Amino acid sequence: MSLIFAAKSIITMNPSQARATHMAVRDGHILAVGDASHIAQWRQAWGDMPIDESLSDKILMPGFVEGHTHMMEGLFWNYDYVGYYDREGPDGNVIAGLKSIDDVVARLSQINQQRDDKTQPLIAWGFDPIFFDGRRMNTADLDKVSTDCPVIVLHASLHILNTNSLVIEQAGVTPGDNNEAVRRDENGHPSGEFLGQLGMYMAMRTTGLDLLGAAGSAQTLINFANVARQTGVTTATDLANPVPVEAVQTMRDTVSQDSFPMRLVVAFQGGGADPQAGIARIQELQSQQTDKLRFSLVKFVADGSIQGFSARLKFPGYFNGADNGLWYIEPDRLKALISAYHAAGIQIHIHTNGDECTDVALDAIEAALRENPWPDHRHTLQHCQMANRAQFKRMAKLGVGVNLFSNHLYYWGDAHINITMGPERAARLDDAGGALAENVPVAIHSDAPVTALAPLFTAWCAVNRVSSKGVKLGGETEKLTVEQALYAITMGAAYSLHMDHEIGSLEVGKRADVAILEADPLQVEAAHLKDIAVYGTILGGKVHVNKRGAK
Amino acid sequence: MSNKVVPITIIAGFLGTGKTSLLNHLLAHAEGRRLTALVNDFGALNIDSELIAAQNGNQISLANGCVCCSIGDDLTLALAQVMNQTPRPDHILIEASGVADPARIAGFAQVDRELRLDGIITLVDALAHQRHANDPHLADNYQRQIAAGHFLLLSKTDLASAAQTHSVSQQLAAQKPTTPIAIIEHGVFDAKVLLGLNETGLLPAQAEIKHDLRQWSAHMTAPVPRLDLLNSLSTLAPHLLRAKAVLHDAEGAYVLHYAGGQSSVSPFDASPSGHFVLIGKPDMPDDASLEQLLTPQAPLPAHRQTEARQ
Repeated sequence: MSLIFAAKSIITMNPSQARATHMAVRDGHILAVGDASHIAQWRQAWGDMPIDESLSDKILMPGFVEGHTHMMEGLFWNYDYVGYYDREGPDGNVIAGLKSIDDVVARLSQINQQRDDKTQPLIAWGFDPIFFDGRRMNTADLDKVSTDCPVIVLHASLHILNTNSLVIEQAGVTPGDNNEAVRRDENGHPSGEFLGQLGMYMAMRTTGLDLLGAAGSAQTLINFANVARQTGVTTATDLANPVPVEAVQTMRDTVSQDSFPMRLVVAFQGGGADPQAGIARIQELQSQQTDKLRFSLVKFVADGSIQGFSARLKFPGYFNGADNGLWYIEPDRLKALISAYHAAGIQIHIHTNGDECTDVALDAIEAALRENPWPDHRHTLQHCQMANRAQFKRMAKLGVGVNLFSNHLYYWGDAHINITMGPERAARLDDAGGALAENVPVAIHSDAPVTALAPLFTAWCAVNRVSSKGVKLGGETEKLTVEQALYAITMGAAYSLHMDHEIGSLEVGKRADVAILEADPLQVEAAHLKDIAVYGTILGGKVHVNKRGAK
Repeated sequence: MSNKVVPITIIAGFLGTGKTSLLNHLLAHAEGRRLTALVNDFGALNIDSELIAAQNGNQISLANGCVCCSIGDDLTLALAQVMNQTPRPDHILIEASGVADPARIAGFAQVDRELRLDGIITLVDALAHQRHANDPHLADNYQRQIAAGHFLLLSKTDLASAAQTHSVSQQLAAQKPTTPIAIIEHGVFDAKVLLGLNETGLLPAQAEIKHDLRQWSAHMTAPVPRLDLLNSLSTLAPHLLRAKAVLHDAEGAYVLHYAGGQSSVSPFDASPSGHFVLIGKPDMPDDASLEQLLTPQAPLPAHRQTEARQ
C-alpha cells in the first residue's frame, strides 16, 4: 500500500534535504521525499501511487516527540477542566477557558446543577491561579458551588488543590508542624488551599477515590494519546510507570489498535530496592515490544521540585532562605542503581531538578562508566533545570544528554526570579542555549500533566524565555533559535529515546510520522510559534485529523 | 468500628540503621494488634514463610493478623488506600525511606481526623553517627530526622565502643534534651513503649516490663484537668517514654497518649476507666514523686498553674 502526500512545504529535519513538497509512503515508512518531479521518478520503478492532495495547503514536519510526559495526563479528562485557556478534550471538543475565579465557580455550579446525584464528589482540574493576579481561590468560592458534596479543584501544576469547607470539616484539619502545606487565612483558618502530597491525600480520603490509582486504564491511555495527537505529537513517553503485570496486557491491547494514534515509550520506574529484579522485568518487557509500544529505559527520581522547595540545591540554596530540599533516593543508593542498570545495558533517565542532585547523578554515571565503558549509552538528565556550564561540559564528556523543562520558564519563571533562585540563577534556568553550546544533546518537555502538553508551546518557551507575567529570563546565550527548538522537539527528543534512526525526521526509510501544521514555524514570528494551529498528524502513513481541522 | 481513629507510627533513619529489624520485631510482637506496615521493600523484610498467610501483589498478610504493604512510588496513595479500606488496622507503621523527612509524613495525620500521630521513632547508627552528621549531601537530612524524632533509638551499639556510644548519646541529649534516647539491640525494643498500651490502658502483668524500664500506674476517679496533666508529664521528659490515661475533667472524659514527648488528647466516648499508666527509663522519678506530681490530691505548684495554657 503506497500513497503520496503533497504539501505546501515539508520541513524534513534532514540536513541534506531541508525542504520538500512531496512524500511517498509505503507500508508505514517513507519511500521518497522530494518535489513532484522527483516523486515521479520513484513512480516509474515502484508503480503508480495515488496522490493525496488534501494537505496541499499544509506544512508538514516530523511528528513531534515528547520525551517527558505522563500517561496521567489522560486520567484527568475523566474530570472537569476549568483552566484559563481553551482546551481541546480527547474527543476533540473544545472546552472554553475560564477567565476569572467567578467563571470557574459558575461553571462548576452549572455542572453540579446538571448532575443526578449531587452528593457525589465534584472534581475539577487545570485551574491556574497565575492568571488571577493577587486573588487566591478560597472555601467561600467553592462553597458557592456546593456545601453538600466535596468540591475539589486541582491546580494545573498538580502541586496545589482547593477544596470547599465540607472537605476541611470532614478531614478535621488541625494545625501542625508543616503549616506551609496548609494555607491559612488572616484568621488562621485553612483557606481551602492545600499543597503537595498532603492535599492529594486529603482529597483521596474525603472522596474515597483513588485519584491517582486509575492511571493505567485503557481509557486513560486513549485520552492521553488523543490529547497529545491534537498538538502534533506522534511519539510520547510515560515517564515512569511501575508496569505491573496486569497493566501490560491493557497497554498492548490498547496501543496496538489502529485507531490509537501514537507511539508510546514507557520508562520503567526503577527506584525499587532490588535492581536485578527491575532489570529482569525490563528485559522481559523488551522482548514483547512492538513498533508502537516500547519499554526501552529505566527512570529514577532523585530529588523533588524547585517550586516545591524539595529540589536539592548547592550553595547558596534557595533565594528565600528555605531549607534545602529532599533526596528521593539516597546518593549512595542512586549510585548502586545506576551502576547495576548501566552494567545491564539499560538506558537510564534521571530526574534531577536541583544542581546538587545533578552533580550526584553525574558522579554516579561517571563511576558506572569507569566500571563498564559504553560509548552510546545516552543516559539523560530529566528537568536538570539548574545545570550550569561546568555541569554541561561534564555531561558532554560523559555522553549524557539533557531533557530540559522549558515550560517552567513560563509557568514558574516569576517565582524562580523572586522566590526560589533569585535573578542570576533564574536567568539561566533550563539553559538550552548553554547546553547546545557545550555540545550536550538537548530535548525539551512539558512534563504533562504538570504543564500543558504542546511541543510548539514548549519550543516557544525555549525560544522566547518569557514568564507568565512577561518577564524575560536570560537572553541570547540561553535561548534556542526556532530551528534549534524545532530540532529539540523532533530529533532531539528522538535521540534521547534511542529512536532517532526511526523517527524525528522525514527521510527515506524512516517511519511516516508527521505533524500537519497550518503555518510554517520557520516563517512566523518567533513570538507566535505557540499560536500555530495543528491540523492533525500522520502515524505510520495513517492520517488523523483534529476535529477543529476537519470543519 | 470502621471509623475508629488509627494511631500511626513513623520509623525513620538512614539506610542500614536497623529500621527493617525493628519492623520485623514489632510485627512479630504485635500482641494482638492488627498492624499494617507500609514498607519500602518486602524482600528486605525477609519474613519467615511459615508466618505468611497470604501474598498478593504488593501485600503480604501474616498469620497473626498483621499486613505488610509495599509503598511503591507513592506513600500518599498507599496510605490513602489503607485508610479507605474496611476494616481499618489497629495501628499503622510507616517505614520512612532513608532520606525522607518524617515530619512531612506526619503531616498526613493533620488532614485526617481518623489518623492520630502516635510518634516518630528515629534510629541513629551509633557507629556511623559522625559520618552521617558530616555527609556533604545528607547532613541536613540527618539533622531533620533527629529533630523530628519523638524517640531516638541508638542502634549498632554492640559494634561501637562504649565511649563512642556514650559520646553519641551525649551529643543527641545536648541537641534534644527532652527527647528520650535509648539503646536498641538487634531491632528488639518493647512494643508497648513504641506502639503504646492496649485499650484498657493496663499492662497484663508487671513482669512483662523489662528490667531496664520502669512502670508506674494509678487508678484515679477524681477529675484531672487535661492541661495540668500534660504540663506535669512534660516535666518528666526525657525520662518518660510512654503514657496512657483514660480520665475525665470538667470538659468530659478524655484519653491521653504520650509517646516520647509527643502527646495527644482526644474525647473518650465511654465511661472513663480511670486508668493511668506510665513507662519510663530507670531514671524516671520514684513512685512517691510521681504520685506527688500526677495525682490530683497534690495541689499543682503555682508556676505550673500559670503555665497552663487555655
